[in-house]
Amino acid sequence: MRFSSSISSLLTSSLLLSTASASSGYHEQLNLRPLPLSNLLASFNFRSNTSLADFESQNFRLFPRSLGQILQYAGTRELHLRFTLGRWDAENWGARPWDGTREGGTGVELWAWLDAETDEEADAKWLTLTNALSGLFCASLNFIDETRTIRPVVSFQAEGDHPNTTLANAKLLHGVLPHEVVCTENLTPFLKLLPCKGKAGIGSLLDGHKLFDASFQSMAIDVRPVCPPGGECLLEVEQTIDMVLDISRSKRPRDNLIPRPIQGHELVCDTSKSYHSDSVCFPVDHLQSQEWTLEQVFGKSIKGACPLTEPGVPPVCVDVPHSRSIFASEGSTEIKSQHSDSRCYKLASEGDFNLVLTQLDASSGDKELVEPEQPLLYADRSFTGYGQEHGGVQAILTNPGDEEVEFVYMESLPWFMRVYLHTLSTRISAASSIPTTSAETSAEIIKEIYYRPALDRERGTQLELLLRIPPKSTVFLTYDFEKSILRYTEYPPDANRGFDVAAAVITTLSPRKMNIRTTSLLLYLPTPDFSMPYNVIIFTSTAIALSFGGLYNILVRQIVGADEGFESPVKSKLKRVLATITRRLAG
Amino acid sequence: MLLPIRLLAVLATSLFLPLAFAEHTNNWAVLVGTSRFWFNYRHLSNVLSMYRTVKRLGIPDSQIILMLPDDMACNPRNAFPGTVYSNSNRAMDLYGDNIEVDYRGYEVTVENFIRLLTDRVGDEMPRSKRLLTDDKSNILIYMTGHGGNEFLKFQDAEEIGAWDLADAFQQMWEKKRYHEILFMIDTCQANTMFSRLYSPNIIATGSSELDQSSYSHHADNDVGVAVIDRYTYYNLEFLENQVKDLSSQKTVGDLFDSYDISKIHSNPGMRYDLFPGGADVARSRLITDFFGNIQNVEVDQKENGALEEELLELGRTIAMLRQKEADEASQYNNATSVPASQPTEPVKHVRGATALTDDNWWTKKVVGATALAGCIGLWALGSFLET
Repeated sequence: MRFSSSISSLLTSSLLLSTASASSGYHEQLNLRPLPLSNLLASFNFRSNTSLADFESQNFRLFPRSLGQILQYAGTRELHLRFTLGRWDAENWGARPWDGTREGGTGVELWAWLDAETDEEADAKWLTLTNALSGLFCASLNFIDETRTIRPVVSFQAEGDHPNTTLANAKLLHGVLPHEVVCTENLTPFLKLLPCKGKAGIGSLLDGHKLFDASFQSMAIDVRPVCPPGGECLLEVEQTIDMVLDISRSKRPRDNLIPRPIQGHELVCDTSKSYHSDSVCFPVDHLQSQEWTLEQVFGKSIKGACPLTEPGVPPVCVDVPHSRSIFASEGSTEIKSQHSDSRCYKLASEGDFNLVLTQLDASSGDKELVEPEQPLLYADRSFTGYGQEHGGVQAILTNPGDEEVEFVYMESLPWFMRVYLHTLSTRISAASSIPTTSAETSAEIIKEIYYRPALDRERGTQLELLLRIPPKSTVFLTYDFEKSILRYTEYPPDANRGFDVAAAVITTLSPRKMNIRTTSLLLYLPTPDFSMPYNVIIFTSTAIALSFGGLYNILVRQIVGADEGFESPVKSKLKRVLATITRRLAG
Repeated sequence: MLLPIRLLAVLATSLFLPLAFAEHTNNWAVLVGTSRFWFNYRHLSNVLSMYRTVKRLGIPDSQIILMLPDDMACNPRNAFPGTVYSNSNRAMDLYGDNIEVDYRGYEVTVENFIRLLTDRVGDEMPRSKRLLTDDKSNILIYMTGHGGNEFLKFQDAEEIGAWDLADAFQQMWEKKRYHEILFMIDTCQANTMFSRLYSPNIIATGSSELDQSSYSHHADNDVGVAVIDRYTYYNLEFLENQVKDLSSQKTVGDLFDSYDISKIHSNPGMRYDLFPGGADVARSRLITDFFGNIQNVEVDQKENGALEEELLELGRTIAMLRQKEADEASQYNNATSVPASQPTEPVKHVRGATALTDDNWWTKKVVGATALAGCIGLWALGSFLET
């Protein structure tokens, strides 16, 4: 087992949760894990469940009614909803919490199994579901239309225990909104789904000001049926929030958030540097361990235990080496895990709970944090090429381990990005000494391709690749695409910002199951000068006015020579008068 | 002529009942910001300040439709994540912990706004995104953004015209979707936006006249942009200081009188002529009629009871008159001089007023069609004879 202790402790605690979840009830747990470079991962997990019989008779107790009714109305068997912001820095922070299964691509991601005989029925229910969720979660989920919906074949598997017959009649739909912002208005309904509404228990730590100041945050809602062996089937709703806080950033006071230069005497210098002197300083505060408290980092302390939780599960766990001392508020009890670097706390039912992690003496040689585990894969994706017509995508997938990794790489691309699938190629650069040529490996790396081409304005591209990467090697996956020109009215108000392309989803199949998502991409499309139509209108109007005026004059007015025309009455009168005068004079 | 007068009285009471008990039973607020991009921070903080005010005075989130076209609180440029401030003293975080935004981002369009007002939405639209008002709803409609002469820009991409707005309000009135509206707009040349309204029961106010700009109040150096507009700032100042709670007796007139041109730097406009009773009645409306959640209870039973009694009495009269008529018919031979009781005529009237049947409609149609045909015939004859 190459699992480092931190992940295994997380796993054991989640196992603990899942075994406990067999009974009907509610559990919550906060897992704190310091990460390198003075970061802190806080994983909140809330589970509540109800028996399927109660659910069907609309008898909701801990299961949120608002969500339950939507699920019933839209015939949803299993639901997964993600709100994600930021990037998980795998190089520094290691493997993802929950093996990446509680994480979504940047923005909002939704996938669900819907009861439907036909695709049309599934589409109708999907429309109902997305719109209802958009109202509930204050997000523009109603923008998940046909062009943003795909039907994955191999990437997603149902997590719940479904009878075979229901799953055969259920359709999986997946939609993603990479541009969607995630903010306090999404957290508000999220907290309202909790039995304690964020007023007590670990939910009372959640605050938009800290959550949306995090380097990475992901909110997840999973609803699935669970059938414990020999028991009644339950419907379980699991709400998860993972956030990575920068400790020094979080410790800044609310009223003075703007970072300002630290005073000279407050600087902590690295005295081991050869150039260190009174006037030269290399600051180390970022690298050194810090003392922090729960209250400093989250801005408030836990307001007592949520009275609805099952007493068996300790609400707060911290993953730090046992050598580091932690002080907890009075009334709480500490439970140290024997086989991992984890300790958990049971809270007093009343009174605030706070934790203090002391600063570690650098000279003692004790480990400050549990070393992060190496992930199975590193994935990066970026655009290549230049210009407004063509472009390319390059995904760099690295397997750092000693085992071959088999996985599915899934992309859901917008229709205005026209993929040339014939250009799809792979190149392997092995860290190992065995040289390989791309022609040979390409066939070996890509096992299977599932592809559904885009139709303009109707649906996007769906691409699923079954890949296999040998140990200690990197695969470059590339393909080219063409950029469409949109119609004038299809551009959003901020077209010059670019168009977001959803994250690629990587699901490993062996050696174990986990998820990775790349970052989303920003695609620049050729954009017109949006004031141009007005110029055109003005110019055309002028041209029409001029030509019409000329033509009208020609058509309506009679044009004659100056001598042929009628004389003006004044002139003729004058002439007559003159004539009479001359006649008189002559006569 | 006793009976017709009584009938008229009954009809009049039934007709004027809604006016006699002109009270609203619920309050709604539609708060719309229409500008995207970071430098328009102040427009979103305008809207959010209004949101906090109506929420403070008791309108629940379910009856507030909040439209925010851009995300300021979680914008990467915001040095204060998750917060929006409307004052550089940063005393009050408008985004707070509990906020529900109904329409956001690209959803804020002219089409969605008009669909919201007129409730012309698809079946799939969730209730939280609909304006579920009725003829007893008082609505506060607040808009802010960049505008010009008779238009208001949405997201720098499209515009809503003054006529569009007027027609939307008229449709709302026709569909009995409001009782009274307070329309408030803070934009350049704002007063032109309500100049075209023609539906009744609307009080309108705006920040500036034709060819006048609306100005921002002040900037916050750490946020880096202007944080609030002048007109909204002074509105809020009044609402915060004078309207402490729902029991406040301040009127709309008091609010309008508090506008100080030297502070606002533009001429705020008001429009009362759409309101029945004109300026006096409009100005005497309480602030809390629009900004607060006053839940007057309309007791159906009592009204209906009164009406039923009247109808019962009417029925009795009719029965009596019929009896009389029958008696008279039987005594027809005897009665040589008919007294001044007009039994037949009024009874007919009563029948027409109670049951509106289709027969009458058809006869009317037939009469109309005949008249029209006669006219055409005359014209044809005339032209034939002329030639």
